Amino acid sequence: MPEVTAVIDADAEMPGDASDASGEAEGQRPGMGRLRRLRQSNGWIFGTMLFSALLSLTASFVLSVDAVVLAADPQAALACNINAVLSCGTVGASWQASLFGFPNAFLGLVAEPVVITVAVASLGGVRFPRWFMFAAQIVYTLGLIFAYWLFFQAFFVIGALCPWCLLVTLSTTLVFTSLTHVNIRDGNLYLPQSVSRVARSLIAHDLDLLLVTLWLVGVTAMVVIKYVPLML
Amino acid sequence: MPKQPTSTKSGQAREALRRRQQQQAAADRRLRIIVRTAWIAGITAIAVILGVTIWTVANARSSGSAAPPVSGPVIVPPNGTDAGAVRFGQDGAPVTVTVYADFMCPFCGQFERANGEALQSAVAAGTVKLEVHPMAFLDAQSAGSKYSTRAANAFITVASSDPDAALRFNQLLFANQPAEGSSGLSDDRLAALATQAGASADVVASFKEQRFVPWVNQLTQQAFDSGVTGTPTVKINGQPFTGDLYTPGPLANAIQQAASGA
Repeated sequence: MPEVTAVIDADAEMPGDASDASGEAEGQRPGMGRLRRLRQSNGWIFGTMLFSALLSLTASFVLSVDAVVLAADPQAALACNINAVLSCGTVGASWQASLFGFPNAFLGLVAEPVVITVAVASLGGVRFPRWFMFAAQIVYTLGLIFAYWLFFQAFFVIGALCPWCLLVTLSTTLVFTSLTHVNIRDGNLYLPQSVSRVARSLIAHDLDLLLVTLWLVGVTAMVVIKYVPLML
Repeated sequence: MPKQPTSTKSGQAREALRRRQQQQAAADRRLRIIVRTAWIAGITAIAVILGVTIWTVANARSSGSAAPPVSGPVIVPPNGTDAGAVRFGQDGAPVTVTVYADFMCPFCGQFERANGEALQSAVAAGTVKLEVHPMAFLDAQSAGSKYSTRAANAFITVASSDPDAALRFNQLLFANQPAEGSSGLSDDRLAALATQAGASADVVASFKEQRFVPWVNQLTQQAFDSGVTGTPTVKINGQPFTGDLYTPGPLANAIQQAASGA
């Protein structure tokens, strides 16, 4: 019996929390409340996911084409190109760029269309089963880890950055954020009751937005601090 | 009579309800404080990061312009050519091999490790006249230390007085090539390698005069203008060599062919 009440409680809490939060903000600034409600809406979350996944797919496509061109003409890869923005230690020619024996960008070509499908279907009102969204979360988390491993390899080891790889890093972060947002909101992650409640109320107060902004500002600062002085 | 316990019960229930409401209110307050603190801390952190970034970039620009660019007359070493190369070997050698390289370029390192020995012995045997164009377009890849320029200047300084030592120095520079993006070999390390290659103490001491830096800048530009699009670029008797540059053999064979053809 108490368990049942708890479940009802938890379910009832989310909308209550959200309206509390927006109501509070509305008292101060009417526009903010509407913005915050928009941010919690399916349209916004899956719209962001769709947009980011499209960016990521585009970048993966460009990188894949580059990889094929380089494979066809190794001499093009094995030279320090004067005209390339970031010269020879090109990320594309490194072993990290094809960790699994084929260009990493191929993974983007495979994975991002799935994300795009999920986002479009969700925008159309489809609700995926809990296990499905949970699995998507696991796989995409691995993707995120891989994207940042590559970013740090390029940043600290290869010593060169390619603009398309940076776009992949950015869009992967945004897809991950929106996916996590929706999965916490809808309770898809099989988290313990108490953890789930805390996570939901943090999201209702937009702390996820704060965290992602902080993270992206930090990553951007790293890139700017390291590379902009070199270009001046 | 039966009303008494009921009212007590409802009193207890009301008491319990009030207590729960109080707990809820306390929890809400705690949450609000945590949320507000997190937002303040987060926004402060973002502001600090932005400030540090702007400060770093602005500082880099002012220090960059403060460091005087090495200017001065363009001095060409005695064995320098008009096209901007340092020439090694006998004038009468039948084959001319031209190499465009940057000391920071990893593939130039691979090229040198694969072909350096063969080229050096061909020069010694009088088969090859070697023209080296030391370029410095990868200065941006050495964390502000302008390694390409420093190494090129050191190489030309040695070459202008002792060509044999310069060829050995060239080989040592690539054998000890720093990673692209690192700050490169220090001036002391460059001096030590030059000494190891056999350069005299006077020559090594004159690296810091940066006498050939203006020439390095000029010949880098000359190479661009002549259509060089990447390093290493290798030519045999003026014709671009399109074979495998990174394994020993193909280049030596091509030189052999050119020599017997001539």
